[in-house]
Formats: sequence, C-alpha cells, structure tokens
Amino acid sequence: MSPAHPPSRAETRWGLQLKLILSMLLVGVVPLMVGLSLAFWQGSREIQVVNGESFKALAEETARKVDLLMSDEVARTSRIAADPSIILQLEQRRDALLDMTEDDRRRAMDRLKGAWEAKDPAAVQAVTGSKMAGIIQEYLSGANSEADQLIPQVVRAATKLLYVTDIEGNLVASLTTIPPFTNEETAWWKGAFHHGVGQIFIEDVHFDERVRTYVISISLPIMDRIRYGAVGVIHRVIDAKELISPSISPIRFGKTGHVMLIDNRGIVISCPILPTGVRLSDAQLIPLVTPLQPGWVSAPSDGHGGQSTSIIGFAPVPETSRATNGDPNFGSWHTFVWQASDELFAPIRHFLTWMAVFSLVAVGLMTSLGYLAAKRIVTPVRRLQKAAQLIGRGELRQPIDIQTGDELQDLADEFNRMNRQLEAAFAGLTDQVAIKTQQVESLLHSTDQILDAVPTPIIMVNQDEQVQYINRVGRDSFQAILDSTKSIPLFDILPVDTTVREHLRKEFGRVRSKEIVATASGAENAALVNTARDPLAPLMETTEPSNRQEIQIGPRRYHYQWFHLAGGNQGKDRIGLVFRDTTDDSRLQDQLIQAEKSGSLGTLTAGIGHELNNPLFGILGLGEAIGEEADLDRVRSYAHDIVQHGRRMAAIIRDFTGVTTRETSDQRQPVHLERELDQAIATLTGSMDASGLTIERTYAGDTCVLALPDQLRQAFTNLLMNAIQAMKGRGTLRLSTSLTETSVVTTIADSGPGIPKQHLSRLFDPFFTTKGQGEGSGLGLTVARRIIKKFGGDIRIESREGSGTSCIVTLPVIPLLPPPQEASCTESTSRSTPQPSPS
Amino acid sequence: MHRVNVTLYAAALTFLISGLWWAPSALSAKERPAPSGIPPEKVAAYVYAVIKADRTLYTTEIVNRLQEKGVTTASEHWEQENALMLPAQFLHQSGKLAAESGSGIRYRLISLWPIYRRNAPASDLERNALESLGKNPDLPVSGIVTSGRKQYFQAIYPDLAVSPACISCHNGHRLSPKRDFKLNDVMGGIAITIPLE
Repeated sequence: MSPAHPPSRAETRWGLQLKLILSMLLVGVVPLMVGLSLAFWQGSREIQVVNGESFKALAEETARKVDLLMSDEVARTSRIAADPSIILQLEQRRDALLDMTEDDRRRAMDRLKGAWEAKDPAAVQAVTGSKMAGIIQEYLSGANSEADQLIPQVVRAATKLLYVTDIEGNLVASLTTIPPFTNEETAWWKGAFHHGVGQIFIEDVHFDERVRTYVISISLPIMDRIRYGAVGVIHRVIDAKELISPSISPIRFGKTGHVMLIDNRGIVISCPILPTGVRLSDAQLIPLVTPLQPGWVSAPSDGHGGQSTSIIGFAPVPETSRATNGDPNFGSWHTFVWQASDELFAPIRHFLTWMAVFSLVAVGLMTSLGYLAAKRIVTPVRRLQKAAQLIGRGELRQPIDIQTGDELQDLADEFNRMNRQLEAAFAGLTDQVAIKTQQVESLLHSTDQILDAVPTPIIMVNQDEQVQYINRVGRDSFQAILDSTKSIPLFDILPVDTTVREHLRKEFGRVRSKEIVATASGAENAALVNTARDPLAPLMETTEPSNRQEIQIGPRRYHYQWFHLAGGNQGKDRIGLVFRDTTDDSRLQDQLIQAEKSGSLGTLTAGIGHELNNPLFGILGLGEAIGEEADLDRVRSYAHDIVQHGRRMAAIIRDFTGVTTRETSDQRQPVHLERELDQAIATLTGSMDASGLTIERTYAGDTCVLALPDQLRQAFTNLLMNAIQAMKGRGTLRLSTSLTETSVVTTIADSGPGIPKQHLSRLFDPFFTTKGQGEGSGLGLTVARRIIKKFGGDIRIESREGSGTSCIVTLPVIPLLPPPQEASCTESTSRSTPQPSPS
Repeated sequence: MHRVNVTLYAAALTFLISGLWWAPSALSAKERPAPSGIPPEKVAAYVYAVIKADRTLYTTEIVNRLQEKGVTTASEHWEQENALMLPAQFLHQSGKLAAESGSGIRYRLISLWPIYRRNAPASDLERNALESLGKNPDLPVSGIVTSGRKQYFQAIYPDLAVSPACISCHNGHRLSPKRDFKLNDVMGGIAITIPLE
C-alpha cells in the first residue's frame, strides 16, 4: 500500500494542473485546426475555381485570336486563289488537259515531271518563272496589293512554300524548286480539291523534310470564274512556330503561366516552353483538354513533365478546327492555359504558413495563460491537500487561510470546521483512555490483593513452564522469591520426586493443549469436564475424595487443581495451579472413617439381616401355605414366588458381597419402565405394612429404556423402600414418569418429614444412613445411583425439611422401536436375568 | 446533321426524278412539238422551290420554334456549343452536300455584304444580279456563264431576311460589312448553277 502511494499522489498533483492546461489547449487548438483546415480547403477550392474560370476565359480569348490569325492567313491565300488571271490560266490548262487523250496526258506529265525532278532549267523556268509564279510572288511581296492587304513580314518569312497545282495535282507554279511535281496522292490535295467541289484544308502540324521544320499548311481550291468547280489548288506551307508564336507567346502571367496551342493528338503547335511538334508528356491529359467546348479541369499532371495537380484552361479554335483535315471530327486545334501549381497555390500556402505561425503564437499564449489560470486554481487545491494530510496526522494547528471567494474558500472553511471538531473529539478520547487505564491498574492491584488474601497457594505458569506469578501464601509455602526480571521454572519451585514431576508435566501438557481444562481426576476414565472453572468457586467434587489430585510436598499434603487462563487479545494463554493444604483434612477424615467403619459393622450386619429377612419371611410364609394347600396350581404359584424370593436374596447377597465386581455382561434389553416400577412397589407392599399408604400414579405411558430388568427393579425398590420407610408406612406416595426428547424422568415423591440439609451432601455415601440399627444398610442409594448411572442416567434428591422428599431418576429413552422389539419390551421381566436359572 | 444531309440528298433526287416526270406534261401543256428538254430556267425554278421550302421549314419550324420554347438556340459555332446551325449555314451545308453528290447542280448563298469573303459574288453576272434584286426582289436574274470552254446556266433568286435570327446575326457579327438589315430586306441571293452539256 505504502510503496504505491507516493507516485500516484505525485501523478495526480501534476495531473490536475496538466489536465487544466491541456484542456484549455484542446479547447483552443482543436477549433483552430479545424478552422484552418476548412479555410485551407475552401481557399484551395476557390482558387481552383477562380483560376480555372480565368484560364478558361483566357483560353477562349486566345482561341479566338488564333482563329482570327488563321482566318487572315486563309483570307490572304484565298486572295491569290481568287486572282482572275490565275483562274483563267488554270481554266485554260484544265480545258487543254480535257482535250488530250489519257495517254497523251500521262506522257506529257511524265516528261514534265522528269524534267522538274532533274532540275531541267527549262522545266524549272516554266514553273518558277511563269506568269502565274510572278503573280504569286507579287501577292507574297505585296507589290500589287492594297495597303490593308499587305502580308506582314513575319507571315512572309513564315511561309516556307507556296505553289499551285492543276486539276491533276501537278505543279503549275511555284516560288521555289523545292515542291514536288506530283501532289495528287497527298492528303491536303485530295482534301482541298475534294472531287472538284473544293474546300479549305488546313493540315495539322508535322515535320516537313524539305523545309526541315515543323509546319502547318493551308490548301485552298482555286475555283473557276463562276465558282462552279475547282481548277487547281494553291498550297501554302507555313512554319507553325514562326506564324503562331508571335500571337500567343507574349501571353504570359506570373512566372510560369502561359498559353499554348495543341492539336487534338496532343502535339504542340506552339508553346513558349515546349518545342513545337512534341507530344504532351501525359497521354491521359489529352482527352481531358481537347473537348469541343471550352472549359477548365483540375488535372493530375501539367503536360509539361510535372506530376503535380494542375489547373488547366482550354478552348477549341472553332473556325480553324472546322477546316482542319477537312472535318473537325478528324482534327481540331485547342488552346491550353496553364500555370505551375506551385505558383498557383502560393498565395494560399503563404496564407497557411502565416496562419500556422500565428497559431503557434496563439498556442504559446494559450499555454502560458493556461498555466497561470491552472496555477491559480491548483495552488489553493494543493494547500487544501496538504492541510488534509496534516489533519490526517492530527498536526494541523493553524486554520487554513484561503481567500479566493469561491467554492474553494467554502471548502477550506469546511476543513477548518472539521479540524476543530476532530480536535475536540480527540481530546475527549484521551481523557477516556486515561480513566480506563486507571481503572485497569486498580483492577490489577485489587486482583493482586485478592489473590494474596487467598489462604491457598496459587501459581501462574506460562506455556514454557515458567512461573510468572505466585501469591503471597505460595511464596511463603514454597520459599520462592519471584524475581520480576527472571522467571523460574515451575519444577524448581515444587520439590517433588521424578515420578510425580512426570505426572504433573503430563497433566500440564494436557491442560496446555486444553484437553483437560479443570479438575481432571488422576484416574484414567474420569469424567472429563470441558468448561473452564473458576478456581475460587466451591469445589463440587469433594464427595469423592479418592479421586482428588494430591501431592506430597515436604511434610504437607496438597490437593491441587489446574486451570486454564485464556490470554487477552495480545497475551498468551496461561495455566494456573491452585493448591489446597489437605494435610489436616486427610488426617481428620482418616480418623473419622476408621471410627465409622468400626461402628458400622454392627449396622451392616443388621442391615444384611434386614434385607434378607424380608424374602425369608416370604419364603417361610409361602412354605407354610404350600403345606396346607391342596390346589396344585396354587402350589405351583407359591413355588414360583419362593423361587423369586430366593433369587432376590441371592441378588441382595451379591450386592453386599461385591457391588461392582459382580456386574454381569452387558446384556441389556429394552425394559418397560412403568412395569418395573409397579412390580417393585407390588413386591414392597406385599412384604411391608402399607395399610396407610396411598399411591398416586401419573405415568407418561409405556416407556422403554435399555437396561437389565433385575437391576433396574432393584434400584427402584431401594428408592421406594427409602420413601416408604421415611413415611413410616403412612402418607401419599406419588409416582410419575414424564418424557422429554431423549430421556424419561421418573419422580418418586413421598410426604415424609424430608431430609435435613446437612445430610443432603452425604446421601449417596456408602453406609450412610439415618435409619436405626438393623433398619438399613446405608447402601440403598449408593447401589441405586450406581445402577442408574450404569444405564446412562442419574439420580437427584430434592428435599425440604417438613415437606417430603423427591427422588428424580433420569434415564435415556430408547428411540422408537419396530413392533417385534416393542413386543419383547412388554414381556421382559426375568428372562434374561444374570442369575442361574431356577430350573 | 447527317439526317438533314440525307433528307436534302433525298430532296434533290426527288426533285430530279419529279423533273423527269413532269417534263412531258409540261411540254404537253405548252403544246410544243418535240422539244429537246426542259428549259434551264424551269429547272432552276424547281430547284429554288425545293431549296426555299426546305430552308423556310428549317427556319420556322425548327430554329424559331425551338428558340421560342427555350429548348436550344442557333449559333454560328453550333458544333462547339451543341446548338442548331444557322439557317444560312444550313443552306451552305446542303449546297456543299449537293455539290459533293456529283450531280452537277450547284447552289450557294451570295451577298454584296458577305461575312466571309468566299460568299461574295464570283462573277459580273452575280454582282449585277444582286444589285438588280436589291432594287427589284420579285424578279430573279438568270443567264449563261462560261468557265473556259464550259457553259453553265445560272439563276439568282433573292434571299430575304425571313427571321430575326438572320438580322441579329448579320447586324452583330464582327466580320459583317453591313449592320443595318431589317426584316424582309434583301440580304443576298441564292445562286443556282446548272451545267449546260
């Protein structure tokens, strides 16, 4: 308990303050964090939306710009295509070709083609130096153009090839010798000629081997003068970057924001950063940014090699896309507006950083303020805690002084009040303890005085046979001086020989182990009493001097008695030894017995005579009756009675000769108590003068006890005879039996004069009698008691002088028996008598 | 769009077939002995009737109606904006389809004030016809034109501002040279060209 306590206390002490600060921090920080996160999230979203919309608008605007640029280019080219002299020449060439046969035409063209590819000066001159080539050159240089139709220098420089074909795709006029002669199979020619119908055809960006750069091309049909059908195609190859870059490269915002132009395959047409002709780095990005509607998207990559989330605005270039590859479904151009997300989200990041810095400052403030607040709360609590500890130890002298003006102050006041009450209670308790101590001391003192006043030696021994106390008489008797510092072994005090010492030691051991607690007799099977006895209580066993424990110490003889003294709640058990000097008692009693014995021999003889006289007279009477009796049945009856009397005499003699030695084997049987009682009284009244005797019977019923019938009847006979003799044959004899749970109580009450008090204690002594010489042996009650005790019962005499005597016999009743045994109980009488059978 | 194209294609075919069917009765009506064919003026008139009917139907029953009901709008950039093509574009596209069919018939919208240059009059006949139609819309102009040695019959019919959409577009377009059209003004003409071979 104690080792676990201090750390836990320390924890809780820190815990309260820590908890207060932590809770304040949590209350402040959690909403702050939530708010910050929400603000960041919302801010990012709004930045995305705002920028996305701006990018979309910029993309649309740029798309329109590109559209206009391309429209201008188409318009410039179409002005050449609409030149009447060119149309006229091509019409004539068409008509000329139509006039020729197929073979002639092929031959002529093959020849021209061969000459052109061989750079034959005549052939080259025919193409590059023709009138039509001159017209084209004039358009390109702006020599005969209107002022507002001049081709800007940048466009002129960007135009890498410009040439015209006839209706079969063969070269008619060119500014340079680079163009191929036959173009019939090219996509742009097929697209622009469109089976004679003619339509505008803008080629996607691609690398041109002849001009060694990435180019786009514009092809326009040259319609006949009534615009009915195409008579040729004008083809213009333009350096993509040179043409478009001046329009979109200047559009820059921030450090990285820019616009670029791509086609629907994701190939860059113009970009301030990426070279023309490369593909966007992320193929998954292409479908996101090339729908036919403008918009913006939050894409997983930026298309420039970065993998960060990017906001991209995009828009198709509508008019140009319509002409691209002849059909917008086959190709379209798109603007692409992008800014690096690092830069894009920089403001919100800065915002977050600053918010984090301010949050840290706020947290620091909260911590210090929280610390101050917690300290204000915790300090009085700690003082209260210390005060509570002091109260617990009873050491608080000064009242607690807390002036916070809140519940804590109330609590402190309560503590003070509680402390005052505790102090008062403790003071009362101390007084009481002092009084009790005094009482105990005086009690001890008086006990010592009482013990010293007792005229017999008393010794107290501890468990180790060490003497702890001897009263004054003991000290005098055994010449022992008890040193309070040194204990003396018991047998150093008692000068006895080895045998006696061993015997005493054995008894001591038994007492110590509480086997015998009180006056166990020296005899082996004496009744063991289990209850402790007050050594000062009058001894009840004085009736049996033969069982007394006695030792001879020196010239004197002592009766001694062990007693067990239970220790208090802390002391060990102690064993006490009480002595009584019986030297004088024994001598006196010996003399008394000697006198009584010599005197009572006569009494005994007379008693025996009297006992034997009764049956003898019966026998004599019956003998005379037999002599005169003729009836044989009666004679037999008388003879039977004679045998009975004879047996009785034998029993009397047996009792006289050996009261204990002649006890028969234990063949007890269930006996009917009331019948034995009746039989006994019948025998007595038959042989005694019982004319003035009234007998009242109050029986509980047929009560069975386990006994020898003869002996039981003998005991009853003895008791009844005493009663009748006491009443001198006149009076009322009350016989009653009553049942308790385990025993039957038989009461024999007479209305005689009662027994004097001084005789009561000696009633059961052998040979004690109050009857005259020859009237009683003094053995009746002794014998009766012995018999009853043998059957597990007891006899008690209650008498008051002048109002009769009650003899109360208690016998254990046998439990309810089954019918056969019950039957045997009813007719027991004399079948199993221990005497030899008369037959 | 394809459906419209198919419809137009079918209409053109129907016109040709019906023209063949009606040729004898027309001749018998005039009671001329054994003429060599239908005069191109009549062919052009038939073609114009069909074109006009289609264009009017598209303008009134599709564009105007859907715009009034708020279902969708007509826009020049109809592909990008998921809208209906303008009636003028409808005529351009159908003319293109008809030309691509290879039948030889051509028709297109021309104007003295075209938004796109390609729709300006290509020849003196067209220019004169437009000027004449501007003064007298009820009288179509026709004539024979040549390209090299080829001869074509050409008839130019007036094209009026039949719906508010026409006016608002032309008056508001960035490239439009004339911005004060009113409803039922002659904005240009439909030039129908038939080869004479």
